[in-house]
Amino acid sequence: MHGFAMKKFLLPLMLAGLGFLAGCGKSSGPNGDSLPAGVKKISIALMPKSKGNAYFISCKAGADRAVQELGVELLFDGPTDPDPARQNEIVENWITMGVDVIAVACENREGISTALRRARNKGIKVVTYDADARPDARDFFVNQATPEGIGFTLMDEAARLCGGEGEFAIITASLTAANMIEWQKYIEARRAEKYPHMRMIALRPCDDLKDKAQSEATALLSANPDLKCIMAICSPAVPGAAEAVKQAGKAGKVQVLGLGLPSENRRYVHEGVTASVILWNTENLGYLTIYAAHALARGTLKPGDASLQAGTLGTLPIVGDNILLGKPVVFTRDNIDQFDF
Amino acid sequence: MNRPGIKTALLRHETVLLVVVVLEWFCFNAMGPSFGSLDNTFDLLRHSVGIGLLALAMTPVILTGGIDLSVGSLLGLCAVLFGKFWRDAGLPIPLAAAVTLVCGAAAGGLNAVLIARWRLPALIVTLGTFSLFRGLAEALTHGVDTFTNFPAAFLFLGQEHWLGMPAQAPIFLLIAAGVWLLVHRTTLGRSFRAIGYAPEGARYAGLPVSRRLALVYVLAGIIAAIAAIIYTARLGQAKADAGTGYELLAITAVVLGGTSIFGGSGTVHGTLLGTAAIAILNNGLVHARQPREVAGMLTGLLLILALAGASLPKVLAQRWPRRQNAPH
Repeated sequence: MHGFAMKKFLLPLMLAGLGFLAGCGKSSGPNGDSLPAGVKKISIALMPKSKGNAYFISCKAGADRAVQELGVELLFDGPTDPDPARQNEIVENWITMGVDVIAVACENREGISTALRRARNKGIKVVTYDADARPDARDFFVNQATPEGIGFTLMDEAARLCGGEGEFAIITASLTAANMIEWQKYIEARRAEKYPHMRMIALRPCDDLKDKAQSEATALLSANPDLKCIMAICSPAVPGAAEAVKQAGKAGKVQVLGLGLPSENRRYVHEGVTASVILWNTENLGYLTIYAAHALARGTLKPGDASLQAGTLGTLPIVGDNILLGKPVVFTRDNIDQFDF
Repeated sequence: MNRPGIKTALLRHETVLLVVVVLEWFCFNAMGPSFGSLDNTFDLLRHSVGIGLLALAMTPVILTGGIDLSVGSLLGLCAVLFGKFWRDAGLPIPLAAAVTLVCGAAAGGLNAVLIARWRLPALIVTLGTFSLFRGLAEALTHGVDTFTNFPAAFLFLGQEHWLGMPAQAPIFLLIAAGVWLLVHRTTLGRSFRAIGYAPEGARYAGLPVSRRLALVYVLAGIIAAIAAIIYTARLGQAKADAGTGYELLAITAVVLGGTSIFGGSGTVHGTLLGTAAIAILNNGLVHARQPREVAGMLTGLLLILALAGASLPKVLAQRWPRRQNAPH
């Protein structure tokens, strides 16, 4: 076989690869070297569920803003492949590196809790955001939306669109989804309290599928000629309902609103089919997460605190160990283009 | 070829790779102050066990000229089965683990029958079982059911220390030693290489080719099941997505380690070095504060360079045939 000759080329090539590798590292040198000198900056490690996701890129934008205001060091890294153990691996590396705070949007609630508990045992503060870990695995959870906030905002917006009276229908993911049942409870509470002339005439499940949502909405439209508004409370249902309304030629006559991503609904919003899309401000979520992490590291945020001072967001309430981001944002034709997630 | 001199030994693929690994180590040690710490060395060991085990399972397979794309999916399936045996069937942990190993062997046996008995191409068969095993794992849990709250004595295996090293490391080293002995010190192991080098020749030489082929796939199944149990202990959870993408990383480690993808030549210690090269790259870049994308890039680059390095002389010899004969 080609025993000897091939090795002759292998060595220089391998070394060339390593040279490249070393070159890469050099560029980051000053960054790392500046750490031990002078006062040690607080280092916060922030992890998204996955790195390329537009949702988390906008969280990162908010985090960067907070990092500048606070003068902390930010490490941002997360999985780029579908390996569910990767979040653990990165967290474990951060523990060894001795960062001050770890903030994670958890992909696997149970799995990541294992690594986060270990971080806490080593004296590292832990914050979760977007998706929580086990309560004993973190200090605080930055909660982007409470059921009350979502339910009330949805109902307020529906009432605004319908002028405070008329029939509306809800499309949900499934009749058993715990979070959606919770939201419906608050939607109904708000309706009974503030909008007695609004009437909910139907609740339909769409199995979290856009197609099913569309056919359910089509059926609702033909069966209820007086329907004024369709409220879609799972994200595939918002464009699904909009498509149904558009094809029935009822754009503008029947209002569509719901809980979803601005990017998935931008088209329908500009076409005048969907009136409003509701979601939290993801940039502020990232911003608040860094403020919470910083306050934890400085010791100004402790268990039992009732509020947190978070820069331009002002003072935000803490309920138990949940830091609340506040009311969701309503995206309409006027502001939807400012958000690209 | 039988008795390589000192010079050829120095230029052997594994030696070169060892140099690369050592250089990597010093490079990252200079770049990240926490990289060389004992804690991180333990992290490194812990993180390489999953991929490392699958790479060990993959080495005999590739030596015979085969491939097993299903090991990552089988890891996921075995993790879910282990969870089911323990939580739903109420078996004690050791028994659940034993039954899981039997299941792993059976799954490997399915590959073995299709490849060794029915003579179907390994690439196609294991591409099929790659989907089948993952699909089964998802079906058993509807994609969402997660097994958790394992007893602390079991989690010890994945998260604590034993004999002064991470508890899973001795198991890994034991299996590595076992596979090394099998491949390099037994006639069985030599037959793997013979089959990979020339399957028909091996058949004419009287080797029981089908049985030997079956053995490597069953062995791969068993090792994947062991990897699944260790993986579950490390994360404290068993879910259908366990080990996603691991088969490709394992193949990368094996090929980087100098095993020919066409079979016939390669070593187990090469595979271990390949695993180490990839693990150090992944871990070191975090400590050097480089983004994760770079790890994927550099792993790919390392592999392509290794392959190019191995085939460059051949290409050159074909293009300028006279040059080799020309007098200097």
